[in-house]
Amino acid sequence: MPRRREPRPAPALELKTTRFAGIQVILNSAEYAVLNTHITTLFAATPDFFGGEAAVFECGRLPADAASPDWAWLAQELRSRGLNPFAVQNASPALAASAVQAGLLVLNDAAPAGATVEARPEPEAEAEVEAPAEPSPEIPARTPTRVIDKPLRSGQRVYAAGGDIVVLAAVNPGAEVIADGSIHVYAPLKGRALAGARGDTSARIFTTHLEAELVSIAGVYRTFDTALDVALARKPAQIRLADASQIIIEPL
Amino acid sequence: MATIITVTSGKGGVGKTTTSASIASGLAMRGYKTAVIDFDVGLRNLDLIMGCERRVVYDFVNVIQGDANLHQALIKDKHADNLFVLPASQTRDKDALTEEGVENVLKELAHQGFDYIVCDSPAGIEHGAIMALTFADQAIVVTNPEVSSVRDSDRILGILQSKSRRAIEGREPVKEHLLVTRYSPKRAAEGEMLTYTDIQELLRIPLLGVIPESEAVLHASNQGIPAIHQKGTPVADAYTDAIGRFLGEEHPLRFVDYEKPGLIKRLFGGK
Repeated sequence: MPRRREPRPAPALELKTTRFAGIQVILNSAEYAVLNTHITTLFAATPDFFGGEAAVFECGRLPADAASPDWAWLAQELRSRGLNPFAVQNASPALAASAVQAGLLVLNDAAPAGATVEARPEPEAEAEVEAPAEPSPEIPARTPTRVIDKPLRSGQRVYAAGGDIVVLAAVNPGAEVIADGSIHVYAPLKGRALAGARGDTSARIFTTHLEAELVSIAGVYRTFDTALDVALARKPAQIRLADASQIIIEPL
Repeated sequence: MATIITVTSGKGGVGKTTTSASIASGLAMRGYKTAVIDFDVGLRNLDLIMGCERRVVYDFVNVIQGDANLHQALIKDKHADNLFVLPASQTRDKDALTEEGVENVLKELAHQGFDYIVCDSPAGIEHGAIMALTFADQAIVVTNPEVSSVRDSDRILGILQSKSRRAIEGREPVKEHLLVTRYSPKRAAEGEMLTYTDIQELLRIPLLGVIPESEAVLHASNQGIPAIHQKGTPVADAYTDAIGRFLGEEHPLRFVDYEKPGLIKRLFGGK
């Protein structure tokens, strides 16, 4: 899935290296019962958290003599929750062999994921128009800002991993916008907004119409059970953190 | 090509079945061959609203499970030519609706030359409601002028945008229509209810119509005659306008403005 398109007519096939970003699924156990229970509880509250991101099974923490997990089942469980595992890494030869049997690729540490993935089609095209979240690798050069141009409705949740998010349509009550960076909403913000989800206290929230149910920065949150100051309610506002512990809401 | 219209809302009691019956009847009265399917397996109501409850022999689940063919289960409507009702089963539960089974029934209806298939969704966001919206080409989201109904409609719109076949396959999205029902211009004007513009501002989908609150609806349900047939009532007129708009015509909104009754009207009564 090329991120940028050449303006000139491009050859049918091009090969380029890329730093490929995905989700690591770190296996600490290979036992069906343990995995099954954990997957169920982990995703119980947030079954739609992922939106088709690619994922890699990290096997480095499994004991050397671990039996192979049921790869096909495991991959299916994750797929049904919006993650698309396509490979294993740091796998023992026995694990790698069973993974290949189940249709997974084996990434070895010498070759970075990029080259392997580039030549393959992405596991699944996104149904939505917007780009899928770009989860950040350890050293993100720059995570592209995620842009949402359709209303976020009650029960919907978007997460911009590793970066900022810009929402051009309303965030309705019951919807949730989450970003590791800052959140910009150029429309009524009536749902929840959680910036700095991984603890970035410098993250901020901006909106042209503040009517949120809850705002949070780096885990410090505020609800709006008591009505907002008239100077702020339904007005453009900025929300930031002072002294790493206090939510400040200011008119823009 | 049959067009599949799902009538949905999230919340219960807002008028989905009343709307399904009137929309299906209205389309049939315009000459389109129309089927209306009750997806509320276990709590079937559509047959009552359509006045065909005494003619139910086979139902939707029988057809899905192959116990009867579609021809045996479809009930011809008494009030409109071109209209057929596929009732829900009263004795099963929603798990009897399989995706494959529903798809086969819809395909078979399309094959039989139906122009429109109206799917009357159950309330909620569980399996039955998902099955009713999975194959939708268009959706009519029925909303009452109160906050909980609006929020549930918002939720169901989100589900349409993620779980419908059109969304999953990345095709052109389901066309969404907002239908505000049980609207009282007086109470909206007095601030006791949301106005239809409030609702539209929140849901941000095109407005198909505003159906006024009326005793005619209860009367219609009790008689088993869809409200659109109650000639001369605002409800019937509002549904008729909505059908016109659905088919691409322009009709000004009616029955949405409240005029304070003048002295004469107050003296001589009249509602």
